[in-house]
Amino acid sequence: MGRLRIQQLSRGGKIRIGLLILVLILPLFPFISDYALHIAILIFMYMILALGLNIVPGFNGLLDLGYVGFYGIGAYTSGLLTIHFGLSYWLIIPIAFLNGALWGVLLGAPTLRLTGDYFAIVTFGFSELVVLFLTNEIWLTRGPLGLPGIAPPSIDLSWLGGPKWEFAGEVPYYYLAILMVLVTVFVMYRIQDSRLGRAWFAIRDDEIAAVSCGINLLHYKVIAFAISAAFGAVAGSFFARWVTFLSPDMFKFWESFLVLCMIVLGGMGNIWGVMVGAVVLVSLSEILREILPLLGLPVEVRFLVFGLIMVIMMRFRPAGLMPIPAVAAKMKAGQVKRKPAVATAGSKK
Amino acid sequence: MFLQQLVNGLIIGGIYAMIAVGYTMIYGVIQLINFAHGEIYMLGAFFAVTFISFLGLPFFAAFLLSMICCAICGMFLDVLAYRPLRESPRLAALITAIGMSIFLQNLAMIIWGSRQKPFPHGSVPAYFGQIAVTFGGVNLSWFHIFIFSFTLVMMLGLHLTIKKTRWGKAMRAVAQNQTMAALVGINVNRVITYTFALAGALGGAAGILVGAYYNSLYPTMGYVAGVKAFAAAVLGGIGSVPGAMVGGVILGVAEALGAGYLSSLYRDGISYAVMIIVIILIPAGLFGKLIKETKKSM
Repeated sequence: MGRLRIQQLSRGGKIRIGLLILVLILPLFPFISDYALHIAILIFMYMILALGLNIVPGFNGLLDLGYVGFYGIGAYTSGLLTIHFGLSYWLIIPIAFLNGALWGVLLGAPTLRLTGDYFAIVTFGFSELVVLFLTNEIWLTRGPLGLPGIAPPSIDLSWLGGPKWEFAGEVPYYYLAILMVLVTVFVMYRIQDSRLGRAWFAIRDDEIAAVSCGINLLHYKVIAFAISAAFGAVAGSFFARWVTFLSPDMFKFWESFLVLCMIVLGGMGNIWGVMVGAVVLVSLSEILREILPLLGLPVEVRFLVFGLIMVIMMRFRPAGLMPIPAVAAKMKAGQVKRKPAVATAGSKK
Repeated sequence: MFLQQLVNGLIIGGIYAMIAVGYTMIYGVIQLINFAHGEIYMLGAFFAVTFISFLGLPFFAAFLLSMICCAICGMFLDVLAYRPLRESPRLAALITAIGMSIFLQNLAMIIWGSRQKPFPHGSVPAYFGQIAVTFGGVNLSWFHIFIFSFTLVMMLGLHLTIKKTRWGKAMRAVAQNQTMAALVGINVNRVITYTFALAGALGGAAGILVGAYYNSLYPTMGYVAGVKAFAAAVLGGIGSVPGAMVGGVILGVAEALGAGYLSSLYRDGISYAVMIIVIILIPAGLFGKLIKETKKSM
């Protein structure tokens, strides 16, 4: 039939469409302040980040602790190209995407053959190196002084004889962010249902079984890591053009941790769960940012809550608030028997 | 100049080694990267300062008490956070470790504030700052000598404990095969918890030494030191205690020389770079056995 009929939608589908419409008309309500829109945009940006990161731990079962590195690469790619070459944002999105993917491949190809915890620590080291590079290469990034004056995106129709319209205020960013989230979600669903996604799930569920089915582990893991990195970079490119100021401090480990926490909370591997995780944690973060100074505590302390959330989730609901069955079965305590007899490095002192 | 850098590197390297053995021992017994280990190191320094300023203890008494407290913290960490996840997939334990690390770091921020703190004035023995030996243009203070001999004694003691004592034997047994160790009557959980205590005590001692050496402590100090020590453990071959000691010293020297001759801006970067390169090229490290690429569920 092809035509969308409301009656044919499932209940969940109706709720989702309703939510989308609500989100779309949100800025029209008079009681929605710029601050509220700002938070909403932040939520959307973290949704893209969380959806991108989700590919690695959620779809492939690998821990990536350096996601903020790609986010930073994307942000500085966007910022520098805007300042030095005045590129249009619509051109920067694919460039940032490709640059993120490039670094994903460069880092992933040699390291993804390692076991999971080594991979985690390498990604961590990588993101720290990115921050050090951004801080120290002053000729390029202005270092700790930051990169100010990044022009906002604009829609230029002058080549058609139309107007040139530059983004001002939060509303255009709001709709751009929604658009980017929708595209990301669409891509994620398509990947999830594709051959690629099925290969990833096979790897996540049982690597040995996956190999016996002819799946090239390294090949698929590198693709996963590259796509994940690319989405991180796209979120970064948006961030740069939105806040119009970048500094290396914005790309510290905390950000990786926050995004990881969203995934853990929402449910690893669950696209909707991850988005809910982003909503909950960004809101919580903002609420704590208001409350903590009243209690005389520094705002960084809100990470205490996030750390606790992660520990508690792993203890009691390791597959997240919205678990998908495969992950839930996998993460359940006692399901996996570690083979202690295997010759790991720790087997002999 | 070169010799001075070398000496500085050896001193810091010894401290890295003390933290690194903690990582390596814990990895050895439960195959977990204990990200929160750096936080124990940070707590060690803060405990010592607190004991000095609130209980008025002399430096060495505070040092000892703080090590004991860190050992207890390590045990709590294991019992509360990791023990319930013994049978869970590795990803769960790793995420818990990161969560605990962030939690402890921010807890310290609440308790002691986020600003840098010095050791209370006059608490570190005055003769520590005095030059003890001078040779070839290198000045060695008493503090250098104390750090150096302390690390040496600790490492030697640790080595003997693991090799010669009954308890060390139990620990090695658990590292080799938990099921078999349990079958011959070893209380596996207790051995693991004691390993955490030992690692915690050493990490805490390292924290006090660094805090007193640079005369500054701050809640995020464990974060960088933890990663560097982990890099040292990887360099030596994770799971291997002598490897961690050698790795720590090599890394300390490389860092001091690199900062002196290449670029001091990338001082921290040297450790990360060494770590990444070692992991990619020789994942087994210098002393480790080759890690078999087995199925590491999630």
